[in-house]
Amino acid sequence: MLALDIPWGVMAIILPLAGAMSCFLWPRCALPLGLVTALAIVICVAGLGWQLLEQGAQRYAVGGWGAPLGIDLYADGLTLLMLMMTAVVGLGISIYSCGYFNQDRARHFWPLWMFLWAALNALFLSADIFNLYVTLELLGLAAVALVALAGGADALTGAMRYLLVSLLGSLCYLLGVALLYHSFGSVDIATLAERVESSPAVWAAMGLMITGLLLKTALFPLHFWLPSAHASAPAPVSALLSALVVKASFYILLRLWLEIFPFAGAALAQLLGLLGAAAVLWGGLQALRQTRLKMLIAYSTVAQLGYLFLAFPLASITGWTGALYVLLSHAAAKTAMFMAAGNILYFGGHDRIVDLDRVVQHLPLTITAFALAGISIMGLPPSGGFIAKWLLLEAAIRSGQWWWGIALILGGLLSAAWVFKVVGYAFTRSEVPHEARAVPAAMEWTALLMAVVAILLGLFVPWLLALMEIGLPFGGEGSAG
Amino acid sequence: MKKSNNAKPITENDSRQAQFRLLLAVPLSALAVGLGYAVLSLPSQAPGLSDHVAAKLEISGVSNPVTAVLLNFRGYDTLLELGVLLLALLGVWSLGAAPKRREPSPGLVLELLSRLLVPLLILVAGYLLWVGGHAPGGAFQAGSVLATAGVLLLLAGWRLDTRFSGLPLRLALVAGLGVFLLVAVVLMLAGGHLLEYPPSFAGALILLIEAAATFSIGTALAALFLGGRPEKGSHR
Repeated sequence: MLALDIPWGVMAIILPLAGAMSCFLWPRCALPLGLVTALAIVICVAGLGWQLLEQGAQRYAVGGWGAPLGIDLYADGLTLLMLMMTAVVGLGISIYSCGYFNQDRARHFWPLWMFLWAALNALFLSADIFNLYVTLELLGLAAVALVALAGGADALTGAMRYLLVSLLGSLCYLLGVALLYHSFGSVDIATLAERVESSPAVWAAMGLMITGLLLKTALFPLHFWLPSAHASAPAPVSALLSALVVKASFYILLRLWLEIFPFAGAALAQLLGLLGAAAVLWGGLQALRQTRLKMLIAYSTVAQLGYLFLAFPLASITGWTGALYVLLSHAAAKTAMFMAAGNILYFGGHDRIVDLDRVVQHLPLTITAFALAGISIMGLPPSGGFIAKWLLLEAAIRSGQWWWGIALILGGLLSAAWVFKVVGYAFTRSEVPHEARAVPAAMEWTALLMAVVAILLGLFVPWLLALMEIGLPFGGEGSAG
Repeated sequence: MKKSNNAKPITENDSRQAQFRLLLAVPLSALAVGLGYAVLSLPSQAPGLSDHVAAKLEISGVSNPVTAVLLNFRGYDTLLELGVLLLALLGVWSLGAAPKRREPSPGLVLELLSRLLVPLLILVAGYLLWVGGHAPGGAFQAGSVLATAGVLLLLAGWRLDTRFSGLPLRLALVAGLGVFLLVAVVLMLAGGHLLEYPPSFAGALILLIEAAATFSIGTALAALFLGGRPEKGSHR
């Protein structure tokens, strides 16, 4: 079969790069060029999924050299799900941004966004720790430039802080890469996994790489940069950052943890779990205290990122699957929420929660999207968020560490509190009337569609779990800790 | 971009910050000691990849191992790095137009010197590009020398004609990444892997990529020096 021989994964990296260059060269046509590229990427990811289903996990030697001399790309079920998440969210954001940005902003948005997409796809496909560093650089620069696109002092300060944090994280990671390369003479993850053994240099490398990646993933207490950067960015960019960019560094952390640092030990895993639980509670409480909608959603991202780390002390396939499910459903739900917040901001000119003033009458679809996404964030059935928490709870009880379940339940209650608060204000009258500007239908519908995706994730569980098992990314793990 | 200088009463805030900085020294020195210990504990004989590189240098198309790694064995990294450079420029351009400043007359020394130096710098850049195949040199070095020529011209008050500051400038900036990607894809379509050079053409293809990359790197670095996108005419 010819179509099975096409390296779909490679195409998913080349296309957005080419798209970025053409959007930059012909800014007048940036919008159609960007949309066509987005569609093409979605097709590539679908092709890769089909390829993986037919042939199992794939390794691709760029330049034909193969590791350790050359760079390898690797795709298994975990990669595929990350790429699919990026494709679905990316397509949604591409459509949403058609209405959101004016001509002048769109000219800058499209090339940056295409670069960001290329960086994400390249990152998820990479099997080489130095290549991962290069993709991190690409990702960080694109993300910072997109935050600054909002203009104004808030956005510039947020972007600057984000840039510094992002660089610090990258440099920590790079130092770790240097130590590992010097110790074992390879930067290929599979080769390193075979050769790695405990030594002071490896422990230093592990500490540096994990710290750098945690800084980029914004795990409590390293989340200090996230709320201002995510809240001050333009709405589609906030969605991108919360749904995709922070997940990318988490993905690297997960890969390293599973492949290169299996000797890390239970104490470190417990620490990560503890920080995760603290993030869930702190993020939830801070979200409740916020007066601006976008700031609230940004703090909720801090909380949701905490759930991802609850899987580390559980260390079972169910636990990892649960964390991955949090990741996917949060991506869809948070995109929908930021889009909804963007619509409200576009409509009323502000995002003060107490002045939402019956916005539901004007933007019924948007508020529906917000509520549906809220259901997934809270973890109510039948949403993706519910499945995620169910899996994590099951793993916690099975491994005899039931106390992690408390964080799960408290986090859900805190989310419920702020979702109901926002929805409540959307129905009540306030003193300040809106400026009222019509919101393009495409923006309302994409928000709703993304929320529906978050709910649907709860209905297609067996299918997604089957995809996740391609190549057994968590296969080597023992069942229960 | 206005600076938000909060000129509050400094004394108390300042002393607290000084204390905080002093406290920060403790974990930082602990970190430095730990890292120093880790680095000292490394084996002196590193099992690097230089043997692998030496074994395949014959068929890489160049005889300089650094160029072979950068453009052939790990060419994909370099391709993405060229993307990083273009992206940095895009980021700066998205912030706003280049600040308009009235250049004072460059003065006789600068003007004469730049006339003398610019052709020389271009020549050196060309030499570095060519020599990269078998000795230290290559696109990044050549590109930065080329950029120096550009910066010198900008300092001397020269500006790109608005006729060229639109699409032609953007083409120059994209050329490096574009040619690299194009070569990579053509090689893939020809039946190999992405960026899999046939050994007989490898040298020529690497030179082509490096030439385009030099041009783009030089342009991008010089354009970054301006600190913003060129005014008007960039809409074309």
